[in-house]
Amino acid sequence: MYRALYTAASGMETQQLNLENVANNLANANTTGFRRRRLQFQDLIYQSIVLPGAASTQQTTFPTGLQIGLGARAAASEIIQLQGDFNTTGNPLDLVIQGQGFFQVQLPSGEIAYTRAGAFQLDPTGIIVTSDGNQLQPAITIPAAATNVTIGADGTVSVQLPGATASQQVGTIQLATFANAGGLNSIGGNLSLETTASGNPIAGVPGGPEGLGTIQQGALESSNVDVVGEFIQMILAQRSYEANSRVVHAADQMFQTINGLTS
Amino acid sequence: MNSGFYSAFAGFAARTDALEMLANNVANASTVGFKASHAFYRSFDSWTQPFNATPLNQAINHFGVLGGAHLDLSPGNIEPTGNDTDVALEGKGFFIIQAANGIRYTRAGNFSLNAQRQLVTAQGDLVLGEQGPIQIPAGQLSISADGTISVDGVLVSKLKIADAAPNTQLTAEGKNYFVIPVAAVKDATTVTVRQGNLEMSNSDPVRTTVSIIELQRTAELMEKALSIFHNEFNKTATQQIPIV
Repeated sequence: MYRALYTAASGMETQQLNLENVANNLANANTTGFRRRRLQFQDLIYQSIVLPGAASTQQTTFPTGLQIGLGARAAASEIIQLQGDFNTTGNPLDLVIQGQGFFQVQLPSGEIAYTRAGAFQLDPTGIIVTSDGNQLQPAITIPAAATNVTIGADGTVSVQLPGATASQQVGTIQLATFANAGGLNSIGGNLSLETTASGNPIAGVPGGPEGLGTIQQGALESSNVDVVGEFIQMILAQRSYEANSRVVHAADQMFQTINGLTS
Repeated sequence: MNSGFYSAFAGFAARTDALEMLANNVANASTVGFKASHAFYRSFDSWTQPFNATPLNQAINHFGVLGGAHLDLSPGNIEPTGNDTDVALEGKGFFIIQAANGIRYTRAGNFSLNAQRQLVTAQGDLVLGEQGPIQIPAGQLSISADGTISVDGVLVSKLKIADAAPNTQLTAEGKNYFVIPVAAVKDATTVTVRQGNLEMSNSDPVRTTVSIIELQRTAELMEKALSIFHNEFNKTATQQIPIV
């Protein structure tokens, strides 16, 4: 009887977590480069009252066992690595990656973080930075006098200087990829850090053999949140929560029945 | 004394166990690849060898206890996820997993890659292919209907899919894993692999709701019987008999 209460409570807990995850996905529906997460659930351990195949006598075995499961738990929240839609903005420093690579940016601590959000700007000294002011790595400086910035599919950054006929190359953007990008550690601000689960970053020039993808200038990758899908998840979470609460109610009533058994 | 009292009590106890099982089915309504368990009842005598007893003795000892649970292996809904490493099985079969405690079987195909680019479960355990663990190079991953894995059109490996012989008892172990006795494992023949999909839980909300109501009402019925034995019979014994 106690088991039923705790089992249903574990179900309610996982559904609440499910709803919290949906809330975060929906809240980030318009976040550039955001990738939605999906919760993965598992069943908990089983209490074997009669193990399937246990001997009922020396000659015979029980055809079916009696195992009572003890509920569910959330095992992981997987990042869905699907490409988001591209929005053309026309801004020369808005970049999208067509492929699985990440931009590398340097945090104030000196650590390298990885992002899909390609909304870059210039800092006062002309260095390319993210909207939080973190430098794109390797650092690229755009001369103040430049009239035009062109970023090629392979990451080559070139500028047009006044009075010059040929454009001048000022650097190359490098991208990084991971064996298991789903294992990156999200730290907010559209940034992720490498972990032992993700493996070491494999950096290279866009369009190379590492499968980093190519860079497209003048567009941004919107989030890959599927609003309709999230609504369906929300309904499912709510109804499952209700079903679990029904079990709590039923267990409570049966309890009450026993307690009401007067002498 | 009152054998009916024990019968009614056994019935009540069986209902509470059944409710616990039901609670687990409901709690796992969102668990990928989960298979619901359904309780059944049997008479107490069926556990023991036939014994020499009078018909009356047999009748009063034939009370119902929770006999066991059978795992409902009917398929769950297949839901598209769009994730390349998610796979669902259509038909009878199980993925083979190298877990810490040995080989385990699962219907939950929510796989991903680890840092060594090996295909693993959400638990981090290796998924086994025809040649053991499956190493997946970078590129466009595709898994065909028979489980053949290729990257950018180059053959990599093939998912190994097992099935249990008919009437085999599967033991649920948690983490979406099952244990199948070694002797009963055979190759799956009638299974189709669907990449980019997941098989959801087969826990049926309608059946569950109806079962909860039914359990609650039968438990009440047992309670009625219990209180009749408890109150009315005792009353008769202590109050009526002395009068006579």
